[in-house]
Amino acid sequence: MDSGDLEQLNALLDNEIDLKEKIKDFVSDFDKRTRRVQGALNKIHSTPSEDVPRLARSVKPMLDECSLSVSAIAGLVPEFEYWRWSGMWSFSLRAAAFGALFVHYLETETLLSLEGVSSVLGIKDEWKHKFTLQAEDYLHGLITMVNEMSRWAVNAVTLGDYERPIRISIFVKSIFAGFSALNLKNDGLRRRFDSLKYDIKKIEEVVYDVSLRRLANSPKKEGVDESPAPR
Amino acid sequence: MASESGAHIANDKSITSHAAILHAFEEFRSDLDLENDRRERIVKSSRDITINSKRVIFLLHRLAIAGIDDDGVKDDRTDYVEAKKKLAEIRVIFKNLQHELEAERFWHHQSAISPGMQEYIEAVSFLHYLEKGKMISYDGVLNSLRDENGVLLCPLSLDDYLLGVSDLTGELMRFAITAISRRGGRRKAREVSDFVRGCKADFDGFSPYVKQLSKKQAVTSQSLQKIEEAAYAIAVRASEYGENDAMLADIVEQCVMGVKSRGAMYETETPLLGG
Repeated sequence: MDSGDLEQLNALLDNEIDLKEKIKDFVSDFDKRTRRVQGALNKIHSTPSEDVPRLARSVKPMLDECSLSVSAIAGLVPEFEYWRWSGMWSFSLRAAAFGALFVHYLETETLLSLEGVSSVLGIKDEWKHKFTLQAEDYLHGLITMVNEMSRWAVNAVTLGDYERPIRISIFVKSIFAGFSALNLKNDGLRRRFDSLKYDIKKIEEVVYDVSLRRLANSPKKEGVDESPAPR
Repeated sequence: MASESGAHIANDKSITSHAAILHAFEEFRSDLDLENDRRERIVKSSRDITINSKRVIFLLHRLAIAGIDDDGVKDDRTDYVEAKKKLAEIRVIFKNLQHELEAERFWHHQSAISPGMQEYIEAVSFLHYLEKGKMISYDGVLNSLRDENGVLLCPLSLDDYLLGVSDLTGELMRFAITAISRRGGRRKAREVSDFVRGCKADFDGFSPYVKQLSKKQAVTSQSLQKIEEAAYAIAVRASEYGENDAMLADIVEQCVMGVKSRGAMYETETPLLGG
């Protein structure tokens, strides 16, 4: 090979390695920050109902910190190269999406849209050629939330909140119905979707237990036995 | 930013009903389907590119071997028009893919186009070597991917370039082994093995940074060893037969058959429709 050609290749490669290192540093911060969010949200399993809003509020500044990482990473990604590098942070981004979704649920008991998650994480529209929240990452975050909710349903009962599993059940069933409408490939998302039905089953069992013993005086009857639990 | 606007986000970014959730998922479905379908189309084209590139490589082998005459390297007259025509046909496939790989889509579906791209690079670099006796540069491959107006048909990643040209060494070894059995092909074979040795040295520096390159380097070493053994055997025999070319040619043929029948040269070859 000509030495000029070799030099060119080396220069190209050096740029790549350089950029990768820089992104890696920010991703490692991002990772730490999302772990803090997850750690804080983990307290939900021991939080009495009346303290839930306070817990949600306490996590928000941590999400803001995540958005700082997002913005730092987005600043490094060259135009049109989102997919070239996204593997480096998709794990953290999914965790951050989970954080945003769960905090929103704790506050409003509704589903935060993809645009909503993007906005919590400070993902700007003008980055659309270099950093966006992909449906896939959003959906991964959502499944993490459902995983967490099935545990929460159990622990809420332990803490004396008998209504919680019923409300969770209604919500999670809608999510499951949504996922069922997707044509998933045989990939990670598909495997995680397959795990959802165990979460639903667990929630159903809790709902069954509290209903049977008339622990919960459910006003929203339709949520309890509107549809059978998925297989 | 997020916490300031938290209250009103709750209003307009909340999905509140079962029907609204289902609706949101329908949008996800069409998004996901769109890209999955696109990926399928790219994979299909990539496979077409692979098959056609392999054919170009076979064709180049035939033309190059036919071009070696008894005096040695007199293959300047060999013309590769037919191969060039076929390469142009491959470019039509790239051209048809152009809009599927625009902007961020290229990196999104890079792994789908990459096998075809590498095979194409192998074919282009083989032709380049046969014509110029040199390794095609990154820009050389890039320029081969331009249409008549100079517009790039498909972006080229550094990894694909390196992996594509490192496959060339395997082809060249096969070429050298065949050439060595021709009277006059021995010089060609030596040129080729010198060239491949150089390539291997050049690429060693890259292998820590490019996934899969070290595997290809190992294959290169293997092929290199094969041709070195063949060259050695011939050199030893040649010392016995001196200037008697006709006799030597027969011996060489036997040597080559020996190397070939061990089959190692072909073990690493992927099947035509593989991948």
